[in-house]
Amino acid sequence: MIITIVAGATFREAVRSRAFIGLLIIFAICALLSRIVGWVSSTDGHIVTTDLVLSLQSLIGVLVAVATGTALVQTEIQSRTLYTILSRPVERWQFVVGKFLGLAAALAAGQAAMALLGLAWLWVTGAEVHGWLLLACAMTTLEVLVMAAVALCWTALSSPLLAAVLGLATYAAGHAVASLPDLMHHLKGGQQIVAVTLASLIPNLGEFTYRNQAVYRLPLGLHDVLQHLLYGVAWCGLLVTITVAVIRRKQL
Amino acid sequence: MTDSIVSFSGVTYAYRGDWLQRIQALHAVDLAVPTGCAFGFLGANGAGKSTSIKLAMGLLTGHQGDIRLFGQPIGSPALRQRLGYLPEQPYFYENLAVGEYLDYLGRLSGLERSGLTAAKDRVYQLLDLGDLRGRKLGSFSKGMRQRFGLAQAILHQPDLLVLDEPFSGLDPLWRARFKDVMALERQRGATLFFSSHILSDVEDLCDHYAVIDHGRVLEQGRLADLFGQAPLILTASGPAPAEAKPGAEGTWTLEFPEQERAARLAALPTGAQVLRLERHRLGLEDWFVARIRDVHGAGKRLGDDV
Repeated sequence: MIITIVAGATFREAVRSRAFIGLLIIFAICALLSRIVGWVSSTDGHIVTTDLVLSLQSLIGVLVAVATGTALVQTEIQSRTLYTILSRPVERWQFVVGKFLGLAAALAAGQAAMALLGLAWLWVTGAEVHGWLLLACAMTTLEVLVMAAVALCWTALSSPLLAAVLGLATYAAGHAVASLPDLMHHLKGGQQIVAVTLASLIPNLGEFTYRNQAVYRLPLGLHDVLQHLLYGVAWCGLLVTITVAVIRRKQL
Repeated sequence: MTDSIVSFSGVTYAYRGDWLQRIQALHAVDLAVPTGCAFGFLGANGAGKSTSIKLAMGLLTGHQGDIRLFGQPIGSPALRQRLGYLPEQPYFYENLAVGEYLDYLGRLSGLERSGLTAAKDRVYQLLDLGDLRGRKLGSFSKGMRQRFGLAQAILHQPDLLVLDEPFSGLDPLWRARFKDVMALERQRGATLFFSSHILSDVEDLCDHYAVIDHGRVLEQGRLADLFGQAPLILTASGPAPAEAKPGAEGTWTLEFPEQERAARLAALPTGAQVLRLERHRLGLEDWFVARIRDVHGAGKRLGDDV
């Protein structure tokens, strides 16, 4: 009950923030302009436009997640907005979980709005709109939620600015991890162990990238999709748990 | 200390400073706030008032000693249902409107939706927030935020109201209104525990007080007892004792403590005619400044001897 109340207020606060609305507007403008790239492309213009729109959704979603995720708890501490909340019958873990769920709901709503807008624009421009695109959008949403959890965790351990830098670094590293199997044969025994160990500490964001499969309609296995879904949920759970452990000891 | 609604026993607390440095904020603080009183918590900047309040609210952890609310150790969320808290210089979410915010905080305090409307109407009326119910808090001035801060603190009619510098940022009219609201809350049965730099307000509202300085409670008790310690001033005419000060139109005055009343009156020179015997009006502000200066010379005026 407490968690849903906190989540509800966080959702309302997040979707009304200037950063959230501003980035949605930027997405809309970029998505509209993406058709120009499609026109000048030497290959199939619709495929290029579709790929661009999906990439924009991921990029802007991650930026919103990192920007709002890093501000989520630290700003509450710095501006003391949480004093009036934690002086009520609210446990710190309920506060953190509620904040994350509220932010996750806002980010999911943002992703849904971007998907709706992007797919509508693709349909208007004559590109083929099919179910695989929806799946790609859904998996991008999961990637964004994992990034929100990453940002939340970093902000509990450092300052908001450093957390934003570390969050974006984790995003880059998370996609680099996806390329690790291709690089393994270049590494020697000890290096391989180090690489695998480091990679296991970072969420593999490549697991949520379904853009190519969706754009080129490559075959998708339900088992893989479910596995990646569980992988994303597990990372969110782990990162929120670490955040709770840190915030419980934090001096406010 | 079962009749104390807030009690500190030997509470020591240190902040983490740079690197491994520890900054001692409280030293073996003993404090007892009697149930039903209006308690003024006085101290200079950095004396430890807000730290003590935050410890009682459970916002800071890692203290040594025992802190109790309603006679029970702090930590239980259920206890916090019975208290209202206004932090120092409060900030609130910018994108929530007054009504939404009160809904949010009221529900966190356990108010049902049915009771929430009446509770909101009550605080709208007390703090003139009715016309602002749809306005977002991001557009509020400091004084308006303070009004909202008090509204959220009293929304659920708590048994204990903890206010950290409640008069900060208020103009004289709103200071007066805040005092009225706090008096009404006390009439309702709430205990008031608040810190303030504006000592005349403490004097108007409180019946108990404590003074904290450099993390140590210097003294605490009933305000009436403190005022009872003020010296007596005797105004008389006729033959004067050697230590008397000359007054207007042939009168003289003599100042002495309450304990010496009988001896001093008996020792008056023959023929002296007592005109008035009154208690010196002790200003809390003057007393406080003198008390703190006595300890460590804080806040000396420019030009004072160092």
